[in-house]
Amino acid sequence: MSQSKKTDFRNRLIMTILLGFVGFLSIAFLTINVARDLRLLNSATSDNVQWTLSQAEVEFLEFEIILDAELRDSVPDLVQLRRSFDIFYSRVQTLAQASIYAPVREVPEFSNNLTAIQAFLAQTVPTIDAPDETLGASLPALSEATRAVRSDVRKLANSGLNFFATNSDARRERVFDTLFQLAAGVAFLLATLLIFSLYLGFLNRLNVRRRLNAIQTSKRLNVVTSTALDAVIVCDDDGRVLDFNAAAVQMFGYSAEEAIGSDLGALIVPDHHRAAHDAGMVRMRANGEKRVVGKGRIKLEAKRATGEIFPIELAIQSAEVDEGEIFISFLRDISHRVAAEENLVAARDRALAGEKAKTDFLATMSHEIRTPLNGLLGNLSLLKDTELDAKQSQYIKNMDTSGRLLMSHISDVLDITKYDAGKLQLRPVVMNLSTLLQDIVDSQSGAAAAHDTSLSWAWSGTPGDWIFADKERIQHVLMNIIGNAIKFTRSGEIIVNAQVVGDITTSPDVELTITDTGIGMDAALKSQIFDDFMTGDASYDRDVGGTGLGLGIALRFVKAMGGTIDVQSEEGKGSMFTVRFPIKPAVPPVSMDQTSQDAAKLPSAHILLVEDNEINRMVAREMIYAQGHTVTEAHNGQIAVDLAATQHFDLILMDISMPVMDGRTATRAIRASNGPCANVPIVALTANAMVDEQEAFLEDGMNDILTKPLSRAGLINLITYFTSETGGCATQANTSAPLVIPVHLAEMKEALGVVATDTLLAQFIDEMDQATVSLSTDLPLEKAAEMAHKMSGSAATFGATELRKSLNKIENSAKTANIPAMHAAIQNLSGVWTATKSLLRVQ
Amino acid sequence: MLRNTLQAISITLCMTVPAWAGDMVTPTGEVMLSVSGNLNQTNADGAALLDLEMLQALDQTIIETSTIWTEGKQTFEGVSLAVLVEALGITGGTLRATAINDYTVEVPLTDAVEGGPIVAYRLNGETMSVRDKGPLWLVYPYDDNSDYRTEVVYSRSIWQLDRIEAVD
Repeated sequence: MSQSKKTDFRNRLIMTILLGFVGFLSIAFLTINVARDLRLLNSATSDNVQWTLSQAEVEFLEFEIILDAELRDSVPDLVQLRRSFDIFYSRVQTLAQASIYAPVREVPEFSNNLTAIQAFLAQTVPTIDAPDETLGASLPALSEATRAVRSDVRKLANSGLNFFATNSDARRERVFDTLFQLAAGVAFLLATLLIFSLYLGFLNRLNVRRRLNAIQTSKRLNVVTSTALDAVIVCDDDGRVLDFNAAAVQMFGYSAEEAIGSDLGALIVPDHHRAAHDAGMVRMRANGEKRVVGKGRIKLEAKRATGEIFPIELAIQSAEVDEGEIFISFLRDISHRVAAEENLVAARDRALAGEKAKTDFLATMSHEIRTPLNGLLGNLSLLKDTELDAKQSQYIKNMDTSGRLLMSHISDVLDITKYDAGKLQLRPVVMNLSTLLQDIVDSQSGAAAAHDTSLSWAWSGTPGDWIFADKERIQHVLMNIIGNAIKFTRSGEIIVNAQVVGDITTSPDVELTITDTGIGMDAALKSQIFDDFMTGDASYDRDVGGTGLGLGIALRFVKAMGGTIDVQSEEGKGSMFTVRFPIKPAVPPVSMDQTSQDAAKLPSAHILLVEDNEINRMVAREMIYAQGHTVTEAHNGQIAVDLAATQHFDLILMDISMPVMDGRTATRAIRASNGPCANVPIVALTANAMVDEQEAFLEDGMNDILTKPLSRAGLINLITYFTSETGGCATQANTSAPLVIPVHLAEMKEALGVVATDTLLAQFIDEMDQATVSLSTDLPLEKAAEMAHKMSGSAATFGATELRKSLNKIENSAKTANIPAMHAAIQNLSGVWTATKSLLRVQ
Repeated sequence: MLRNTLQAISITLCMTVPAWAGDMVTPTGEVMLSVSGNLNQTNADGAALLDLEMLQALDQTIIETSTIWTEGKQTFEGVSLAVLVEALGITGGTLRATAINDYTVEVPLTDAVEGGPIVAYRLNGETMSVRDKGPLWLVYPYDDNSDYRTEVVYSRSIWQLDRIEAVD
């Protein structure tokens, strides 16, 4: 905009100057004209022409008078007569010859009269020039002729005078015209000058106003900068300070007089940044490179007059002024903020350290408590199988109950730790919800009856018996809520209601409501019951006991399953808990559920037990023996590696902390070897159930983790699972639920039709065969991860969960460049795939 | 114009100098001009009477010029007014010149300068009769000097001159 304004202004100026120039030229031209006219007037070409014309008549009359006088005189004075004639003659000659009368001679009347007079003169000259006697005698005739010509002389004078009068009028006219033009020109020039001066006046007013504005703006700016809380320092491109505001004075401890004109670098840049600052200035001057200017807020350090270094926040902008480029820096002392931030960080670090200490403490405690407890319970379990009398059996049962309660408390704490670390992993299995509910109700009926309370359950609507879900966690949640209901209900009723919400064939939720007629809760209590260490009414505490972690854990489990838990309650009337979570319907297995039966059917497996703790080793060994399997024991990792190198085992149970060689190292060694057990499933036995470590174990090539203390059921499940699943080294795989979830395939057939599903399945099998081969060659890690990821997706679609798990392991270990783990997983893959393939084909 | 001036000057220089030393001679021919008033050379009763011969005895000046009263270039021969004033010892401020018909003009003495007017007695080599504006004609070099082409000078250019009176 200012550009166009500038151009506009320039154009107008040029226009005005041009106008002025044209005006000046015309004035000059007119002045030349006037000068010429004046010169014409000056070099008079006319003499006193009128006078001369009149004089002709006068001289003629004089001649005539003398002639008349001489006529009457007896002795005429002829000399005087001749002279007057000559004078008249001379006058007429002048009129006839003079150049100034040339124009008038053009006038016919004038020239006619002149000719007549000349004729008279020519006629008279011989008479005048004749001797006196002759002249005297001719006088009467001369008088006659003279009288005759008189009117001609008069007419001559008159016509001449007329002409010159007209002529003079014309000249006056011309002079008038010229003067008028001159006046017009002057007027025009004056007008131009007037316009020009008006314009200049306008410009001047504009400039005055702008100046005033600029002064006001500058004053305002001065007020702004001088009252600004931030230091404002203006400097030129040499780094010389041009302006240093009040805040800057206060911040840096230099007076404005001291600062202005000094080098900014020397003034406020800390010594250890000086070199960089100077280099930056040089760079900027050299090629205009600006690393700080216009880059927004930057945190830096600055130096006070006292030499104190303090943190600042800085923003620099540049501006172009007449003197060149200037830099305006806004600086803020952020010492307080930085200190506050440091305090905050320190506080956070302390909090984190505290948290870590807590976690470490919990982990250690769980380990330290569980290990002896494991021994205790294991021995109790063994003791139960010996010959005992009724009393002893009762004592042992009591001890076992107490021990398990203690164990469950420890597990609760561990579960919370796991969940809060975000590493709680679900273990979904095919399960029968009705059976679970019935079992729970059966087991809790006694406790309810003790409080004179009835406990019952039922389905609302269509039952959804077989589902694929984390049975243990569901059981835990329900046990907790039902347990609470029993605790807080006296002589009442507890009803468990189950309902499938949504379409059973797609992805329904199951909603379980537990309604009691107990003491209920007020709103305040209701809002706290899911908090950790919440133990409810103090008056009941003694009565009901508990860690106060129960509902907190229940909430975490339900959340982990993707569900919700909700409570409605009225004080004195009772409570209703609603648990809702998504379920996957499952096809009921042909024959299942009783692990002992299953186990009995299994062929005897050869298991390598690696454990340094003698008691634990003994407990585990006895449990495995009891199931009809054979056990080889190893006291540490090195022994295990040596054994695994020479003989084949169906399963290796590996403790983690051991002397000589720990379990992780041993696992890696076995996986890396080409021994007969390189692909054998290895399961970690640990009381150290921290999530991070579990991940590490899997990366080392372990297949699963069994948390100590060992429970008979857990161990049997595990052995069953691995010895029946693994194809590579173990016996032929048979039907096993976790390998393939049949419902996926069933659903697919329902959705796509049998033919399409079969085609897809055939394609998948084909691709998977190729992938298995490709992965066993030395693929680049990236390729391997990519392929495993892709196949994993397909495996999920067909419900091949174990296959998917194996592929995920390959992908993860490839991504983390864990070569041994990847090789182990790849070797494991072929077994899993063979088993899975046969299952898929069957279906 | 320059050429004319040079010509005039060269002719002037070639002319014979002074005429009458000591007492002024009396005219032998017809008196052409009578000068009276403030002058110290006289040959009559307080006046100097001059005939053609006496005029011709004074340094001659030739002016070639056109005039508004004639057609074309004219050659005037005569005595420079300055020379005449010198020769007659005329003092005062003004010359009152009068023609035969008593027409009178006043010529300031300051006009009597070298290169200024002459009292012409010959036009184009001929003496001038009264009919030809003779016998004497006060002529200025109009062509040479624009200052002489003015109404006032034209009015001073008196012809048929026969009397001059030097007054203050």
